[in-house]
Amino acid sequence: MEDDELLNQEKVEKRLSPHPLSFMGLQSLCIFLIAWGLIFGWMVNFSDFRDLFENVLLQIAVWGLVLLVVSIIASIIKVMWRIFFLYLSVVLVALGLIWWLNLFDAIGLFLPVYTVIVSIIGFLLVELFRRSHKYIISNQRIVFKGGVITKEQRTLRYDKISDVNTKQGILGQIFSFGTIIPISQSGFGLGSDQSFAGGGVQGSGSKRVGLFGFFGGGREVQTPRTRSYYELHGVYPFKEIRKMVEQLVQGSEISQYQKQQVDFQEEQRDFQEEQRDLQKEMKDLLKKQKNQSKSKEE
Amino acid sequence: MSGEAFDVVVFAPLAPIFGLILFWFIQLIFIEIQKSLLNQLRSSHDALIRFTNFIGIFFQTICHALGYTLTRSGISSFYLSVDYGKVDPKKKKSGVFEWLVNMFLFVGPFFLPSFLLLAYFFLLSNDGFTVLAQSEFTFAENFIVFGSNLFGFTKELVFFLGSIDLFHPGHLGFFLLFILLGLGIRPSYIGKRPMEKVDMFYDLKNIRYNILHKPVYILIAILGAYIFSYLNVFFGQSLYVSVFSFFGWSSILAIFALIYAEVLLFWVYVLDDLSVGFRVLTLLTLPICYILLRVLFYLLSWPFAAQIGFWGSVGITVFITIMLLYRLTNKFKTLLSMNSIRGKSGGKK
Repeated sequence: MEDDELLNQEKVEKRLSPHPLSFMGLQSLCIFLIAWGLIFGWMVNFSDFRDLFENVLLQIAVWGLVLLVVSIIASIIKVMWRIFFLYLSVVLVALGLIWWLNLFDAIGLFLPVYTVIVSIIGFLLVELFRRSHKYIISNQRIVFKGGVITKEQRTLRYDKISDVNTKQGILGQIFSFGTIIPISQSGFGLGSDQSFAGGGVQGSGSKRVGLFGFFGGGREVQTPRTRSYYELHGVYPFKEIRKMVEQLVQGSEISQYQKQQVDFQEEQRDFQEEQRDLQKEMKDLLKKQKNQSKSKEE
Repeated sequence: MSGEAFDVVVFAPLAPIFGLILFWFIQLIFIEIQKSLLNQLRSSHDALIRFTNFIGIFFQTICHALGYTLTRSGISSFYLSVDYGKVDPKKKKSGVFEWLVNMFLFVGPFFLPSFLLLAYFFLLSNDGFTVLAQSEFTFAENFIVFGSNLFGFTKELVFFLGSIDLFHPGHLGFFLLFILLGLGIRPSYIGKRPMEKVDMFYDLKNIRYNILHKPVYILIAILGAYIFSYLNVFFGQSLYVSVFSFFGWSSILAIFALIYAEVLLFWVYVLDDLSVGFRVLTLLTLPICYILLRVLFYLLSWPFAAQIGFWGSVGITVFITIMLLYRLTNKFKTLLSMNSIRGKSGGKK
């Protein structure tokens, strides 16, 4: 945040960005690609059972199927079908390149090299995405900035924060980073987990009469979840930042004693205003009396 | 009863037990050395310490949970973090069940990681898993067979580790797991404050407590071992020694994993004297050298490429580490050469 973006009497307490390992979910997709690329290269070119992979189509099928099966499993576990489509596009691009450049004779070399190159590009993109995140904690608000091409920004004043949720995985516990999700009074920072169950029944008594029914139900659970540029994602040192945010949130709230003081001061002010009005009335009355007595004398 | 029969009945069953205890204590010594090294690294490598703690605590907690599951006590809560692990049973059972759960807690963290390694090693090389046949079942024969089984396994393991091919995905995975588990084969915690239930002395105290206060269970365990041994003699099998050999193999694998992990930790400790740039350079030397040597040997079609590649890269890394320490720090210097450096830099002679 530039100095001209600061508000009156605003002071920056901390400038943060996510820890390099905080996007391990995305990075692990690239790690798997590297690992599979190397294993596939070894299997097809150097292993004892490389004779099994003499057929080019078999090589392509094994390479693509493993990627797709793993992506389906990962998508189901993470409930994120983007992973499947990402891997599918990797496979389709590879097939396109093989067909276009007629690389059928060099599949054993092309597929491992292509997989490793794609994973390196993936790593670079994840790193670019991570570096686009900037979090500024000032004495008045938290500013979240993110986005590689489209820039997103969220500003949250401490008095609007109703709840602070924190998350720290095993890697976070080891390397002292974690995620802090400030939830606003409007519910910004909350996501929802949805589950749905359905079932159907079909009965067939005779040839003419058939029964068919379908029933189902779903439930939704609100859970603290938001995009990485709307939360303090993977910030380091986690405990220190969490304490700072909680202290700033607490500092912006009026305590019971402060509330009593404010009520008392308001009462005092009302009383003073009443006194002032009374004095004014008295003055006016005195003026009137003076005028009356003057007119009588005259 | 002749002397030999007396030997078979009274002393022979004790032979593999003594052998196993010996190896377990050797393992404990290496664990203590590792703990001492980690304690020295604590101030500068907090994340590494937390990581090793997590591996140790993970296996300890898993063992505790396994104990409760196998004794049908059930698990009501399971907590695992980098600092602490805790498992609570649904119903607290006493007697034999409690003792069994404690057995899992004491012995599990030492053996469970090495069982995993053993299973992996079996997939890569099953030549060392040979068990010798027995004929006399005496104390001496039991001891010799136990020792021979372990010797055969150790020979195969040393040969495998000496000729490990890190370009083979299976070997690379084993090597990484070997180092990873080697860092955590210990029911202990390295931290600012001692933690309950995660200290070796806690385990030893518990064992002593069980021996002194619940001798019946120890007697039952020994009696079980004796009965098992007699059944082997009766049927002319060598299963009794084989079971202990299996634990011995795990122990040997754990000892080797601990040694490799300790070498790695010592390397990290030594590199602390260098600046960050040189430290990274030295750490990268090992993989880069290995890849370059392997590619070179592949192009030249040299025999023993894997062996020379691995040990050559280790040798080059050690040499570079020593040279950097000699050049940039006051390590490996006599007083005379240190004085000459001070003199050159204009310092006090």
